[in-house]
Amino acid sequence: MAALTPAGPMAPVTPPAIAAGPGGRAGRPRRIRVWRGVVLLVAAVYFLVPLIASFTFTVKDASKGFTLDAYGQILSAEGFGKSLLLSLGLGVATIVVVLLLTLPAMLAVRLSVPKLKPVLEILCTLPLVVPPITFVAGITTILQWGPDHLADTPFFQTIIAAQNPDFPVVLVLAYVILALPFVYRALDAGLGALDARTLVEAARNLGASWPHLLFRVIVPNLRSALASASFLTLALVLGEFTIASLLHYQTFPVWIYTISGSQAQVSVAVSVFSLLITWLLLLVLSSAGARQRSGS
Amino acid sequence: MTVQSPVHTAPAAAGGGSRPKKSKSWLATVPLLAFVVLVFGVPLVIILGGTFTREGTLSAANVTDSLQGAYLTALLGSVKLSALVAVVGALLGTFLAQAVVTSRFRLLREAVLTASGVLSNFGGIPLAFAWIATLGNSGVVTSALGLDSAGWSLYNFWGLTLVYLYFSIPLMVVVVVPALDGLRPQWREAAQNNGANTWQYWRHVGIPVLTPTLLGGVVLLFGGAFAAYATAAAMVGGTVPLVTLQIANALSGNVLIGHENVALALSLDMIVVAGLVMAVYLPLQRRSARWLR
Amino acid sequence: MNGAKVELRGLRRNFSGTTALDGLDLTIEPGELIALLGPSGCGKTTALRCVAGFEQPDEGAVLIDGADITRVPANRRDAGMVFQSYSLFPNLSIRDNVAFGLRVRKVAAAKRHARAQELLELIGLPQIGERYPHQLSGGQQQRVALARALALEPRVLLLDEPLSALDAKVRVTLREEIRRLQLSLGITTIFVTHDQEEALSMADRVAVLRAGRLEQVADPATLYDRPATAFVAEFVGTMNRIPGKLSGRTVTVLGQDLPVEGDVPATSDVEVLVRPETVIVTPDPSSEAMILVSSFRGSTSRLRVQLGDLEMLADVPGHDTVRLAPGTRVRVELVERPVLVSASSDVAAAVPVSEHDVV
Repeated sequence: MAALTPAGPMAPVTPPAIAAGPGGRAGRPRRIRVWRGVVLLVAAVYFLVPLIASFTFTVKDASKGFTLDAYGQILSAEGFGKSLLLSLGLGVATIVVVLLLTLPAMLAVRLSVPKLKPVLEILCTLPLVVPPITFVAGITTILQWGPDHLADTPFFQTIIAAQNPDFPVVLVLAYVILALPFVYRALDAGLGALDARTLVEAARNLGASWPHLLFRVIVPNLRSALASASFLTLALVLGEFTIASLLHYQTFPVWIYTISGSQAQVSVAVSVFSLLITWLLLLVLSSAGARQRSGS
Repeated sequence: MTVQSPVHTAPAAAGGGSRPKKSKSWLATVPLLAFVVLVFGVPLVIILGGTFTREGTLSAANVTDSLQGAYLTALLGSVKLSALVAVVGALLGTFLAQAVVTSRFRLLREAVLTASGVLSNFGGIPLAFAWIATLGNSGVVTSALGLDSAGWSLYNFWGLTLVYLYFSIPLMVVVVVPALDGLRPQWREAAQNNGANTWQYWRHVGIPVLTPTLLGGVVLLFGGAFAAYATAAAMVGGTVPLVTLQIANALSGNVLIGHENVALALSLDMIVVAGLVMAVYLPLQRRSARWLR
Repeated sequence: MNGAKVELRGLRRNFSGTTALDGLDLTIEPGELIALLGPSGCGKTTALRCVAGFEQPDEGAVLIDGADITRVPANRRDAGMVFQSYSLFPNLSIRDNVAFGLRVRKVAAAKRHARAQELLELIGLPQIGERYPHQLSGGQQQRVALARALALEPRVLLLDEPLSALDAKVRVTLREEIRRLQLSLGITTIFVTHDQEEALSMADRVAVLRAGRLEQVADPATLYDRPATAFVAEFVGTMNRIPGKLSGRTVTVLGQDLPVEGDVPATSDVEVLVRPETVIVTPDPSSEAMILVSSFRGSTSRLRVQLGDLEMLADVPGHDTVRLAPGTRVRVELVERPVLVSASSDVAAAVPVSEHDVV
């Protein structure tokens, strides 16, 4: 009754990838375990080396050896503060606008006009189909034609104002579109888990008015979905390069690229930094989400 | 017992309270719909209109130009790169997902899933710089292993593939893991109960059930790689023919006189490709959702 | 199809600290339907999976028709299994699902399709061959799962709580169908369930398990009337525990002298174990006992009667409910027949344990 013979016909020949099954028996899993270890090792190397190398790149100096100079130089680098603030501002503005637009719409659809759901879903997923570069191609064309065709209309001023390099509203508009699919998905999942309809009916049954309902019942319960949507949007805005650079605005990612020519180390250092921040945001997000799931 | 009165007043209250609300609440969707139609729709219309306009007249010349010569090379280059990244990324991503899903260590699974969620969003400039710092001409690994003398260069088609996989593989992992989780152990046991060995199970049940998800993943990866711009711009500039780079070029005025709208035509080409991608992806996703619920 | 004899000998199985099977011995006769009954964690599913080959016991053996199959891999055993749910392959049509085992054995297409159709007719669903699992109801899916399990003409049929995930009405119908099918095919069947009503109504014999060991195995009537242990007495049906005094083989309880059945404990302070249907309740204004609660169930009513510190359950015919309403003073007697006794336990002696059938 000692050693078990591994099931003969279960030789994991082809798709070795998928040969691992429920590891209930002694004989088979050993080969699988080795194989799995190899895969994980290769993956770890592939994903970690560039990060480690980036960090090493930023702290290596021909004469001084290990130094954290590059990081020190970040703060004093020209344009750092300005571009970072700009990106953060754009991020906040985008979050506000996108939530103000989507939350009421999604609530209304879920509670009283479910027929509009497919329409909403298609519209909010459409931006995924259009690559940002084509989007910016369209925008550039409009901005080029605009002044010519709209010179004597009130829109002229609007178009000029939207392109103010200190706070380009046109970028906010574009980013709202880009963020829509993610925000929609996050809020949809949140509303679904919430069973909004039952909650609303229960609250109405207890005499709640609509505003009270919205702010005291629904929004608090959507906290994690709203946080999720906000973080995703922020991560998106802080990383968006294509549209900003082709419209010639100095947002944070564009600044990183611009400065790479002159101060390569600083540029990589900032990349590492922005990466870490984005990751931290998303990590906090997923752990908060996990906590809420297990807590409730 | 006064059961009568509440019954009579209740419907009135409910009717009074809910009916007007019902007819007005769809207004809440108007701002969103209007916004999307305007901010998204107008550029699209412009692209469409501009594509078919050459020097003020209706013409399909832009489209035909966009499918010839350097532009065609760029389009094909993008397709080749995206296809390669999609297939390789899907394969490797599936292997990684399977290795993680079947592991006994919960922590490993959680860590890899979180990392994948995060890494799939890692693109653009930081990604390019990280790889340049690693395997670029003066990169850390390049110097350490003396690769530059061996003729290695990151700034070509293969280098780009290597870099694109960095966000593609995690995306595949994120897509495949739920599907692998959805493979119910009862299926495996039922198959064994009917005499099937491991290979037969995968062949008749496992792989067919996973196929919609795998195909969906390939398609998703293709779309992502096809649309990527920033990373390529930071790394290869003009040395690798890619349609996104061509569009950027054209938008910066780097184009023949009269051909300004070719950028728009190229954009239209890209949208068509992306649309095809979605058209294939969505039904696949629905099928796999149905089986792997 | 003929049934095989299945033997479980000294099965032991440990799962990281928890003992699932603790020396289980059981012999199942050819052609019989035996139910493995017990609370969750008692090891019944583990025992079934040992027969199927999905679990390997740490010690002990499983024999089919005398051959030791303990180490034979699951896909080489001759036991068809029906799972609790979700076991049909979603990508295959019903016909391909049923014919799966035949396909694995490389039986020709025409032949296996014919056999699949035969089986679909056997389970009463001849039209659904072209449909897919997600289009069927739960009951239909389980019937198809049954057909698939029978396709390879196994000598043993294993059912792992196949009805638990279904609606109450469907459960009853399907229960009868399974029994009918099993009898006509003569196939040895092991049926795992936690629902005693299912076990008692379907099985030739019922094996009650607890903590990985066999408490009692007997036909339903014997199990119900003569539970071997206190656990069985309380798990199967409901049991009253009424204090009494033992002398010799007679016990004095509620003013009556009744003969004792089975084992006689050493002490004279005992508890008499009686079923609610053997408690006779008659209205009597001069008596001390009083009805506390009455639950009407259609054909019977269950009364909770209080007598001093004691509370008892009594089942009375439904038409008597009106005159045996709560608050009525009644006289309580036991039917004159031998009763089971056990030594008085410390645990809330005279209050009947939680009723399993009143959820």
